[in-house]
Amino acid sequence: MSDHHDHDHDHGHKPAPMVDEVSHFEILEMAVRELAIEKGLFTAEDHRTWVEYVHTLGPTPAARLVAKAWLDPEYKKLCEADGVEASKAVGVNWVTSPPTQFGTPSDYCNLRVLVDTPTVKHVVVCSLCSCYPRPILGQSPEWYRTPNYRRRLVRWPRQVLTEFGLQLPSEVTIRVADSNQKTRYIVMPVRPEGTEGWTEDQLTEIVTRDCLIGVAVPKPGITTNVKLPVRKAIHPVHHDH
Amino acid sequence: MSSSHREVVLRHIETVGYMQPALHRQTHAPAPDLITPDLWKAYTRIVHDVGGEPDVPMAWEEKQEEQWELNTFATAECLAWRGAWTAEERRRKQNADVGQTQYLGLPYYGRWLLTCARILVDKQFCTLTELVNKIEEVKNRHV
Repeated sequence: MSDHHDHDHDHGHKPAPMVDEVSHFEILEMAVRELAIEKGLFTAEDHRTWVEYVHTLGPTPAARLVAKAWLDPEYKKLCEADGVEASKAVGVNWVTSPPTQFGTPSDYCNLRVLVDTPTVKHVVVCSLCSCYPRPILGQSPEWYRTPNYRRRLVRWPRQVLTEFGLQLPSEVTIRVADSNQKTRYIVMPVRPEGTEGWTEDQLTEIVTRDCLIGVAVPKPGITTNVKLPVRKAIHPVHHDH
Repeated sequence: MSSSHREVVLRHIETVGYMQPALHRQTHAPAPDLITPDLWKAYTRIVHDVGGEPDVPMAWEEKQEEQWELNTFATAECLAWRGAWTAEERRRKQNADVGQTQYLGLPYYGRWLLTCARILVDKQFCTLTELVNKIEEVKNRHV
């Protein structure tokens, strides 16, 4: 009854139209940043530099690494043996990268490249938090950070992969790599059929972020991630990867 | 997962679920013999170690990043870059010390943000009063 009563009166109690309302998160973010700058913990310029650095990140260097390795067996060996060294060929230096010149504080510098075969498929998770190879792959997708993905991938990987549209034959073994604060992973999928004679640029285009995490496999003609609904931000960053 | 293992895991999660917050029953620093092995395991559970916990499928989605989220990430990294903390300190505060309610209940970067605020006070880079005053100042600026 009371529900009905409330409903009748809803129209008179509509909140004022949202006029660029500032959230608690936004207020606290500004307060913390400004206070840290006032206290000399870092400068406004440092912060600007860092935000600009993040804007330069994305999955392209990792995609190029895979494309190069598909074309060059020697480089592929290097990728398997020393991911950090191999990253230099695609413009990522984990040890001296900007803006700090000593790498990024939260990413350390131990990249492993997991090489798929026709019978072994790798997929990456961070069951303890959300570790992700940012310098070479950009910011992680939201689903990668959810407790749900982290809980279930390590126990039911085959089921989780089907939820991303990846149905693997039962004879394919799935290996889940659990990232940690020191070690980060990217997946090198099997080069798909129908790409014979392709250039490095062409191959790079089909190695999407999702392929590099391992929840998708590259296909000729597919250059975007798995289609998922997008939750809109209230005040979005204007350079989303 | 074998059925016996499943039962063990489910009992563990159920125990943890009843425990936090344990306001529905009397808890006043009980005698050691009252702490069963199940309770001990639940009390010493690390909240962010979720790998393998039972859960059901959810609808995956992408999310546009809020400007404050990117700013928060940059703040956390700048604090580490300039030596206010290490990434390990950040992870401890943000993934373990927050407790289960905040860990599972807050947005991802919400935890980062609270952790950045807490490190300022905890390591005496500012006083709590300075932080509260700054929040008020920012709030008033945006009224």
